[in-house]
Amino acid sequence: MIELRQASLVYKDQGKDLYACRHINLTVRPGEFLGILGPSGSGKSSLLYMMSGLKSPTSGEVLYKDQRISEMSEPERARLRLVDFGIVFQYPYLIGYLSALENVLVGSPGVGTREKAQELLLDLGIGHKSHRLPHELSGGERQRVCVARALLGGRSVIFADEPTASLDHTNGLAVVDLLVRHRGEGALVIVTHDPSMLAHANRVIHITDGEVVKEEVDPSFAPTGPIRETIGP
Amino acid sequence: MKRILTFSTYLVRNGGKSLPLIGVIVLAVLLIVGIVALMNSIPYSIRTIYKHSKNYTGLVPRSNASVDHNIRKEIRDGSPVPIEPILVIRGSQAQVKSIVGGWPFVVLAMRQDDMRRYAKRLNITKIEGRYPKAGEAEALISEPVARNLKLKLGDPLLKPDNADAYSMFPVKIVGIAQTDYWTMMMPYEYHEKYHFPPYDSALVFAKNPADQDKLDRWIHEKYRGANLRVFAYFLLEEETNGMFRILYQILNVVIFTLVAVITLMMAMLINIYQSQRIQEFGLLQALGYTRRDLIRRVLGESIAVVLVGWILGVAAAQGMLQLVKSRLMDPNAFALDVWDRSALLYTIPVPVMIFLAAVGAIWSRFRTFDPVSVVERRLA
Repeated sequence: MIELRQASLVYKDQGKDLYACRHINLTVRPGEFLGILGPSGSGKSSLLYMMSGLKSPTSGEVLYKDQRISEMSEPERARLRLVDFGIVFQYPYLIGYLSALENVLVGSPGVGTREKAQELLLDLGIGHKSHRLPHELSGGERQRVCVARALLGGRSVIFADEPTASLDHTNGLAVVDLLVRHRGEGALVIVTHDPSMLAHANRVIHITDGEVVKEEVDPSFAPTGPIRETIGP
Repeated sequence: MKRILTFSTYLVRNGGKSLPLIGVIVLAVLLIVGIVALMNSIPYSIRTIYKHSKNYTGLVPRSNASVDHNIRKEIRDGSPVPIEPILVIRGSQAQVKSIVGGWPFVVLAMRQDDMRRYAKRLNITKIEGRYPKAGEAEALISEPVARNLKLKLGDPLLKPDNADAYSMFPVKIVGIAQTDYWTMMMPYEYHEKYHFPPYDSALVFAKNPADQDKLDRWIHEKYRGANLRVFAYFLLEEETNGMFRILYQILNVVIFTLVAVITLMMAMLINIYQSQRIQEFGLLQALGYTRRDLIRRVLGESIAVVLVGWILGVAAAQGMLQLVKSRLMDPNAFALDVWDRSALLYTIPVPVMIFLAAVGAIWSRFRTFDPVSVVERRLA
């Protein structure tokens, strides 16, 4: 589904190349829950940005359904994020002047209906607050709205970048649980530094200094779509 | 853009931010319309007060006691358009008030029949009171003059103790004509007997009022350099335009400065408000909205703000001018054009410049905008 081939992301720092990700080979399979684990600054968020089309690799390729994301135009990549991908960011960013329900709908215009969004908020336990503005919600509730926004419209892949970072442990686990339960047939990629959040992952890759250093696989996982072999580093 | 985020969504839900922007434009438009319309009211007053001269060519002799028989014959025989019988009149000076002080105005001294012919030419069909009698110290004035000078029937128009409107005896008002024209008439015989200097002037009327301008220009050309002064409406307009040219140049500089200051202020405000929305722009772009979507939306909002501001400004200006007209100008018969087109045209640079400033701010913001820097909280 998503495939990285020798993908590197390099930042320039005072004229020197700084590798955020180094020659990464990775495949995300349909329906898979992939955990990306690593300490702060290890390059896991950069990896997620490359996979979701928010950043283009400096070298190598990123493919989605055999199409090179890195060769797509800005509108094409934007459309991927709007229709195929759902993204939950580290901080529960919502638009301040839109209600919770509108914030959910804004993530999938023309795809998600008001009724489905309301239903999703109900499932996530904040249906009764759907007309509240973000400043009237707690941090946990705001992150649930972000989760609903990423889920609405039946996305192929849900990306979550440290979705529990701004929450306490209990709320963090609850948010991950919601993502796992409500993603439907979509793949789920969660980036975190907390291994306890990935208890139910089908596969966990460990990343350090921009390189994949370890991979743990749940042998019982069967992908919901065609399998592409993981290419090693 | 997508239904939830229409042009009006942000503006309506963030009244605290959009209303001050709109308010600045409203005040700017109000100020400009007010300044220009009041300024324009001066030449407009001249055209209104002396509009009666649109109906005739006035001939005043120089170094001679009258527009003599030969000149009148020349005009009758050579006129390019059919003319009415030429009126021989005399004139006495009076004054009317304007927003910039007193202006001279001629009391036309005419014979009985001529008064009626002249009144007919000015479409005067209704008179409160009556025409002055031959030889009597009586006057007929029009309604705007009565309002301007606060005169009523029985009041003196000219009097011995008034240096600006002098007559040996009080010349009492016996008639007020209902017309928009400003006019004053008195009997020729009284003027002949008691006023100095004793010279006869003439009024020449084209048979068809539409031909008057042609007749004016012909007479002006024919007697250029002659011992005859020609008064015509087109000369009045030329003189008025020349008189106010410098004043309008100064006005242009003032308005330009005003527009520049307002644009600068608005550009700063727009920049501040857009900076406050960086998180929103970054989030939307990260979610999959294209740069084009966002620019289109912000431009739409900018257009809505400047248009609403301009329209409200024009409406407020109309309201203010109506108030000024009804409370200050009309009671004194001062001229003010509430729907002054040139005043409205002067306001066009306000929305245009503010829109351009908004485009500049948006362009510079989105040129190098990276949504990742927002979602990573580097720009939030």
